[in-house]
Amino acid sequence: MARKQSSDTAINTQRRKLLKFAGASAAVGGLGLSAGLARASEALSGSAPGEVLDIAIIGAGLSGLTSARDLQRAGCESFVVLEARDRVGGRTLNYDVGHGEVSDVGGQWIGPGQTAVADLARELEVDTFPSYYEGKTVMLGGDGQLAIDLEGTFGTDHALGEQLSELSRDVPSGAPWTSPRAEELDKLSVGDWLAKQDIKPEDKPGWDGSIALTGGALPAKMGLLHFLSMINSANSDYFKLDAIKDSAQGTRFVGGAQLLSIKMAEELGDKLRLSCPVRKISNWDSDVVTLHTDQGTIRTRQVIMALSPPLCQQIDFSPALPANRAALQRAWPAHSPARKTAMVYSRPFWREKGLNGHIFQVNGPIIWAYDNSPVNGEVGVINAFVSNANLPSDHNQAKRALAEIYAQAWGDAALRPVAYHDQDWGKVDPWTITCISAIPPGFWTTHGEALNPPSGNLIWSGTETADIWAGYMDGAVRSGHQSALEALNALRLRSRS
Amino acid sequence: MKKTLLIGLPAVVVLLLVFFGQELVDLYRLQAYLTESEEQYQANKGAWPHLTDACEACHGRNGSSLHQGYPSLAGQPEAYLATQLRNFANGDRENPNMTPLAMTMSEEEIQLYAKFFARQPAKDNRYFEADVQNRERGETLAESGGCAGCHGDRLMGQGPFPRLASQGYDYLLNQLDAFAEGERNDPTGMMNSLAAGWSPEDRKAIATYLAGLPTE
Repeated sequence: MARKQSSDTAINTQRRKLLKFAGASAAVGGLGLSAGLARASEALSGSAPGEVLDIAIIGAGLSGLTSARDLQRAGCESFVVLEARDRVGGRTLNYDVGHGEVSDVGGQWIGPGQTAVADLARELEVDTFPSYYEGKTVMLGGDGQLAIDLEGTFGTDHALGEQLSELSRDVPSGAPWTSPRAEELDKLSVGDWLAKQDIKPEDKPGWDGSIALTGGALPAKMGLLHFLSMINSANSDYFKLDAIKDSAQGTRFVGGAQLLSIKMAEELGDKLRLSCPVRKISNWDSDVVTLHTDQGTIRTRQVIMALSPPLCQQIDFSPALPANRAALQRAWPAHSPARKTAMVYSRPFWREKGLNGHIFQVNGPIIWAYDNSPVNGEVGVINAFVSNANLPSDHNQAKRALAEIYAQAWGDAALRPVAYHDQDWGKVDPWTITCISAIPPGFWTTHGEALNPPSGNLIWSGTETADIWAGYMDGAVRSGHQSALEALNALRLRSRS
Repeated sequence: MKKTLLIGLPAVVVLLLVFFGQELVDLYRLQAYLTESEEQYQANKGAWPHLTDACEACHGRNGSSLHQGYPSLAGQPEAYLATQLRNFANGDRENPNMTPLAMTMSEEEIQLYAKFFARQPAKDNRYFEADVQNRERGETLAESGGCAGCHGDRLMGQGPFPRLASQGYDYLLNQLDAFAEGERNDPTGMMNSLAAGWSPEDRKAIATYLAGLPTE
């Protein structure tokens, strides 16, 4: 008993430390958070005037924090990480469901071939567990429904999946514009391709849902070339992308995906500055770059831009960026502000009925609902990707509307949730804009060449720049490693000149 | 979901229930709903998948948003919609989500979107609960501001002027604030000077009145 108490205390201390970095102000209380912020601003005002850092990293998501970790492990101490939000983790976010458990309400899964993020998790001692899919999924449409065991798939037509897999072999994941068939494929949307496949009416909502979830847009505005590059990331196997079992939605992190960032941030101390958006970057083409932030200016030799192109587009660059990079940022699609909800129940009651807690709905607010209960299954959590404007914005109205849909699928027990969280990533703050990048037809053949080359001392990073699994957490980690190397090499070259 | 549903007989629900149970009734209803949806889709849009599908996550099914922050497009004047899409694309109107999306649209596509949403029936903003005092104050302000002069009787929009009735509250307030602060401009400057003349509380009252105003 005594031993248990002492270990609980240790865990609680650890948890408090972690929560500070999570920015979970409600859970941690005002005191801890303001202490953290005070330290950050002291550090900033304490920077010696005229001091020039080696590297500044903009963005404390998985990508930026991976870069910071690599720099630190390589012995580089002259760097800072600037984060606009009051928390780390970027597009990953843990929602506290009580009892010390969390539900992810941002990026959350990893799958086969996502070795960079899997390795990072092992190094950080963050465990994984399989997504819950055993049992029947409920298809809803109007007042009708069907409960069906999809055996860990999304029920996608196998033959069409095979055709897409085959096509993807010619489309390199990190550079789709270099495909020998780029010109031809980039003229088409996924919708153009699907329209020729004689798809049955009852299968159409499924394709709409799959493409929206995976790609971020409905088929008619989803570029075929880009979509194929995503399949190419999955080792050219559509079912490693678009399924649960043995696929990109198959594995979760114990303690939530944000825990990776929280743990990395813990090691950074005062090198991490929260609530510190960068508004302007000047002299990026000179030896010393100046970053103008809400907490003052920072001078640095190299900058790792660990944020998405739409967020780069919000920064004022002086002088103006090279024309091709400016054009890429301006045209980068940002119309996928995902809205994700978490409904918490005292237990996962649906499992006892042979149901897996998954719902696909035709013409309703739910694109896909799924069992997102913590690993031990003691608390029941149903997460859902909802169509932003097809569910009321009001918290209680949305909660009621979703609970009623869940009751239609699983019975009245669904009407008694114990908590509800509604995360509309496009509305909650200005620091996301879009969840995933729904690259439209024609984009890569026009702008692809401008994606990766640095502009002066700005190294373009973030998951969107990854060679494999761009847009995924794995891509974020890969880009983080890559950018740290590029920054160190740039400093090395400079010291020789 | 993409499995073939092996039922298409016009069977009577009651008979199904008696002989086969609830599950088959549910399946029959699902099948009927899918068929009906498919027919409505074809009649309204044409062949699947249609370009306008991509708008509906943020602007609601057939352009009617249930969310106070994402605007409804249904029943907006065609000229207004087309102008806004062009403005997003050329930078006259700034929005980080809409600018890149509008840049993907040819003039032909812009016309297609504008025509499609203009002919969708406008729906009431039924999830908005208006504060009565604010609504009344907003109505007075809207009348003295002469809103109907441009936005039409009952503020249902006309020509280049958008429908305001039953638009989302948060969206309306954001736009009024953006006009007041010069972040959004209208070519005549009328909206800028009106909005700048209203206090922040006035703007809230006007947004309340408009969001709660039923469509015709």
